[in-house]
Amino acid sequence: MKRYILHRLALAVPTLVLVSVIVFSIMRLMPGDVVIRMVEGHAYAPTVAALRAELGLDRPAYVQYFEWVGGILLRGDFGSSYWTRQPIWDEFISRFPVTLGLAALTILSSVVIGVVVGIVSASRQDSAADYIGRIVAILALSIPYFGLAVLVVVLPSIYFKWTPVYTYVPFSTDPLQNLKILIVPALVFGVTRAGPIMRIMRSALLDILRQDYIRTAWSKGLPERAIVLRHALKNAMIPVVSLIGLQMPLYIGGSVIIEAIFRLPGVGLFFFDALMRMDYPVVQSVNLIVATMVVGLNLAIDLSYAFLDPRIRYR
Amino acid sequence: MATIAPSPPATIDLDVRRLPRTLPWYIEVWGQMLRRKPLGTLGALIVMGMLFLAIFAHALTPYGFAETNLRERFISGSATHWLGTDQIGRDVATRILYGARISLYVGFGAIAIASVIATLLGIFCAYWGGRVDMLLQRAVDAWMAFPGLLILMSIMSLLGPSVLNITLVLGIAAGIRESRIIRGVALSIRENTYIESARAMGSGHVRVTLVHILPNVVPTIIVVATTGLSTVILTEASLSFLGLGVPPPHPTWGGMLSLGGLDHMYRAPWLAIWPATALSLAVFGFNMLGDALRDLLDPRLKGG
Repeated sequence: MKRYILHRLALAVPTLVLVSVIVFSIMRLMPGDVVIRMVEGHAYAPTVAALRAELGLDRPAYVQYFEWVGGILLRGDFGSSYWTRQPIWDEFISRFPVTLGLAALTILSSVVIGVVVGIVSASRQDSAADYIGRIVAILALSIPYFGLAVLVVVLPSIYFKWTPVYTYVPFSTDPLQNLKILIVPALVFGVTRAGPIMRIMRSALLDILRQDYIRTAWSKGLPERAIVLRHALKNAMIPVVSLIGLQMPLYIGGSVIIEAIFRLPGVGLFFFDALMRMDYPVVQSVNLIVATMVVGLNLAIDLSYAFLDPRIRYR
Repeated sequence: MATIAPSPPATIDLDVRRLPRTLPWYIEVWGQMLRRKPLGTLGALIVMGMLFLAIFAHALTPYGFAETNLRERFISGSATHWLGTDQIGRDVATRILYGARISLYVGFGAIAIASVIATLLGIFCAYWGGRVDMLLQRAVDAWMAFPGLLILMSIMSLLGPSVLNITLVLGIAAGIRESRIIRGVALSIRENTYIESARAMGSGHVRVTLVHILPNVVPTIIVVATTGLSTVILTEASLSFLGLGVPPPHPTWGGMLSLGGLDHMYRAPWLAIWPATALSLAVFGFNMLGDALRDLLDPRLKGG
């Protein structure tokens, strides 16, 4: 187990190096010079050349790359925003709880909906409930979350005089209010992501319910509830968990849009604002941090298989 | 000494002309779709309907997609404007039709690019193997570690929104991702004995790849492309929604829904409802068609 973790960590290193090279090159190779805009539109410095020198953009690209990566590795310094000169890491950390709360609630709601409907669908195969569940799953799969979010913002305010809460309250100040703010965006996002979970839960559980040990459990006279929930469910969760892992980038990418619609001051909004102002260091570092998190999460998910199915051993 | 008379060579009475005729697989699959996959058939009908509307958009509506009429703003639906008009009097139905054209244009364009990249890269990696494959696969790993939307947003904001840019970017991104699947399939095909015998008979690498591997990868390419279409259309809509995809005045479903028009939607909810419906219907159609094609052509890919 320990060796497996070390092996996976060693494999992650070249991946992350490549990630940093890719994101750095993209930022440098593309046209569109933010410095000109900063000088001409906002008078950040007397001349373009002066500002380029101040930001260190007049040096060769490889020097800039090693300075960026070196700062991260040696000092934990992800650089500063061009516009505000604030350290990126501080801003990221202060906004991270919002995004984390949103992501946790989204995943929770999509898993709860997906797993419950999946269980009903599989244990009552070909019943009316099964068909309804499957149709709902297909619909959920097809409705784009930002479309649903716009409808949830617009329609109830017209017909029921209800609007989502827009002033954000941190969890530490008022947990209940925080939950009230996050639950609507999380549900909107979670419902659309529940579709694939529902479908994979159903097919995995159907597969498990036909196995010998389940027949043994039936013949022992166990009630259906115990068979499905205690014997079958845990084994059927493996594909569900790996699906959530595969979809992690979708949850993170989608949070940019959800945060923009519901005006949540999270990492997604930070990233989007930076993008609009061509604040390269922010865009570059946030991309790298998030990619690192995705790599780490995938490792964690691979390790969770051993918990779900003790037959799985790591070598 | 008794000799054993050599037995006459066994003959099989086989006349190819008398065998029941079978249709080629790419025709046969549609018959099976009709018989066994009602949802897939529905998906195919939706996709064909969308193609029809997109191709004949200019003939189906008397309005131009950017034609404004300030005297007819915020009409909620009438005999002349079926789906209503927006804040500057543009016909919503017209914009939905032309939006289908843009969606399909970007979708098919990006998927064509993606399929070429995925096929070349996937087959090359699988066939060549060794260190080159190892290095290229680590690069693909790195690419897949990025949360798709974040890196696509970054690239699009740097390149600037345009139809050509978004088609290229989505095509290349999807191509790299899909090369993984093509590589997997090509790897298993490479292990077949007929590849070995083709090599033994003196076929060169190019001939083996083009004549023996490529035709067997085609069904997988079709499946991956069809399921990829809904993802590409959805991603284009997300990027246009954020103002990073197709720029105005081109009407796109994502752009029609975007936050810039939110204030008008409170007054005219149909401005949000119709583009969202059109987008959902298109994604539904491509998803169902892709699922059914996958079940019929390449069941190995199921559960991905």
